[in-house]
Amino acid sequence: MRSLVFLLPALALVGGLLGVPLALTLAGGLGHYGEALADSQLREAAVVTATFAAITVALEMTLGLLFALALDAAWRLRGPLRAVALLPWALPSAVMALSWRWIFNDTNGVATLLVQTIGLTDEPVAWLGRPGFAFAAIVVADVWKATPFVTIILLAGLQTIPRELHEAMSLDGGGAVRRFFWITLPLLRPAIALALSFRLIQAVGVFDLVWVMTGGGPADATRTVALYIYDVVFRYIRPDYGAAVTALVAGGLLATAAVAGVLARGRAFEERRA
Amino acid sequence: MRTRGAIVTLAALAALATCQGAGGERPAIRFLEAPDTGGGWHEIVAAFEAANPDVDVDLVEGPPSTNTREEMYAAAFLAGAAYDVIYMDVPWVPKFAARGWLRPLDDLLPPDARDVFLPGDVAGSLYQSRLYRVPMQADAGMLYYRTDLVDHAPDTFADLEALARRAQQPPDRWGYVFQGLQYEGLVANFLEVLWGHGGDVFDESGRVVLDSPASVAALTWMAGLVGAIAPQGVTAYQEEEARQAFQEGRAVFMRNWPYAWTPLQADASPVRGRVGLARLPHAPGASSAAALGGWGFGISASTPHSDEAWRFVAFATAAAQQKTLHLRNGRIPTRRALFDDAEILARSPHYPRLLDVLLTARPRPLHPRYAEISDALQRHVSAALVGRETPADAVRSAAEAIRRIIEP
Repeated sequence: MRSLVFLLPALALVGGLLGVPLALTLAGGLGHYGEALADSQLREAAVVTATFAAITVALEMTLGLLFALALDAAWRLRGPLRAVALLPWALPSAVMALSWRWIFNDTNGVATLLVQTIGLTDEPVAWLGRPGFAFAAIVVADVWKATPFVTIILLAGLQTIPRELHEAMSLDGGGAVRRFFWITLPLLRPAIALALSFRLIQAVGVFDLVWVMTGGGPADATRTVALYIYDVVFRYIRPDYGAAVTALVAGGLLATAAVAGVLARGRAFEERRA
Repeated sequence: MRTRGAIVTLAALAALATCQGAGGERPAIRFLEAPDTGGGWHEIVAAFEAANPDVDVDLVEGPPSTNTREEMYAAAFLAGAAYDVIYMDVPWVPKFAARGWLRPLDDLLPPDARDVFLPGDVAGSLYQSRLYRVPMQADAGMLYYRTDLVDHAPDTFADLEALARRAQQPPDRWGYVFQGLQYEGLVANFLEVLWGHGGDVFDESGRVVLDSPASVAALTWMAGLVGAIAPQGVTAYQEEEARQAFQEGRAVFMRNWPYAWTPLQADASPVRGRVGLARLPHAPGASSAAALGGWGFGISASTPHSDEAWRFVAFATAAAQQKTLHLRNGRIPTRRALFDDAEILARSPHYPRLLDVLLTARPRPLHPRYAEISDALQRHVSAALVGRETPADAVRSAAEAIRRIIEP
């Protein structure tokens, strides 16, 4: 009873800062959930967002794992390399996105210069001016930025794996590939689950990068859900409808992240806790 | 100990709140603008306060982004703590007026007193025939051309295309650059071509008339530019990408706002002294039209100091202050008489031609849900430019979308 009293201020703070706004948001959206489900613009934005999240997260997890393995092996250079690898993650997204916009500029951009130098074309390439290319461009920029994050998380995970396990399995004649699948990957699962859920949540919520690079265009090819919610709330001044859309998206996102987390975490995590 | 600390903090907060509530003796008029880079706004505020010792003016220098300032104003209105004076872009007028956030100004500036301002800027200050804004700063789309590459400015769209084809050498130098990215600027670019073909989005009674042959002709012309006389990449251009291309000599013609004149004529500019400006082209039988982008002052409907607010608005929009803002910050005045002013002409000798462009300026559709209308236009015009929709389909889809927006 006494302990409950001591808990009250903390509860009030959390309830006030999180619970009340959450309840207000959910209630504010009431009456708009039907509209949201029938909204074709929201549906298109959801498809763009899901595609973006699936591609970027898959690439980031794969590349991140490769880099982490490489860094884990490169004992002596690990310190400086890790610092360099973190740089893209440390840059503010908006600043980075501005740079990418100029990299992908059709006539002055480095990207055009690159494909011209290797002889693919003589013409300037409208990277951000064509729907498919623009989508690919934001994927590239996001992968460049977020792979270091995955790398660091997985590297930390790798370093918790006891070397003795590898040595023991080598003695039993286990090669590098077998050791990776039997020791490294299972023991890395908690770290993978963590990186995966973080990346999924951020990829689905992507805003600043796309906002600066393409503004959602051309022809809505890069208009993500976050961009759409921004339009609804701030430009159309429909906070109630924005609340409904936000609640729906947050619900879908939580479910996805939970499923992904459970799948990745799997049994290894349970065994550890037990 | 801890309790005492908390009480002291609370007391301090309470004292602070009281201070703010009282706010001193003189009423303070607050408004939000972009950073005052030339110092003109500070000069105007100081001059006003010197002439009106009973009023304080609180100039809030906000972010340079128009959208962000619009959101800051809207958020302030929604929170019930509005600014007293609103420095507004054209599309904000119907949006804010329809929500009852602005005080009508017809009694303060009756119709016969409005002729001193440019007609487009007055039209862009009206919502449902009532005046909500006093024009301060003009802006409109116009055509820049290279005087060393073409011998005259084109009158018609066909003329522009022919001249551009003759003078261009792609991919090093294209005929025409404009703003083709999917954003607000694309709507301005499209409306200018649409109006130049005699079409429009709404008719006078507010009905959607976008699905017309004029619209299809306009969009067909625009979409046909991409890859022919405009670079493929133009569908990702905003103002600065276009200006950069033109300034580096990579374009013969450019559609842009008046601001580009100054950097194009700067000492380091490769095209300095070889730039002409003109009205945008039109179709035979129609007339040139420029999208209006001007700014002006509105007054909050909820301000307790509306008399003081009006005194400031009247003062700031007077000829002397518009001149200050031009000389210090390079802003374009909205009073016709200033385009003959010797001091202004000394600094900006191209102003007579600019006035000619500004007289063709028309506001974008004045509707409280303009943001949604604009997005529908952006989506389908962009789709036509990148070849995802045919111009006819794009026009039909945009018209249907706009009907759904205005007839819920």
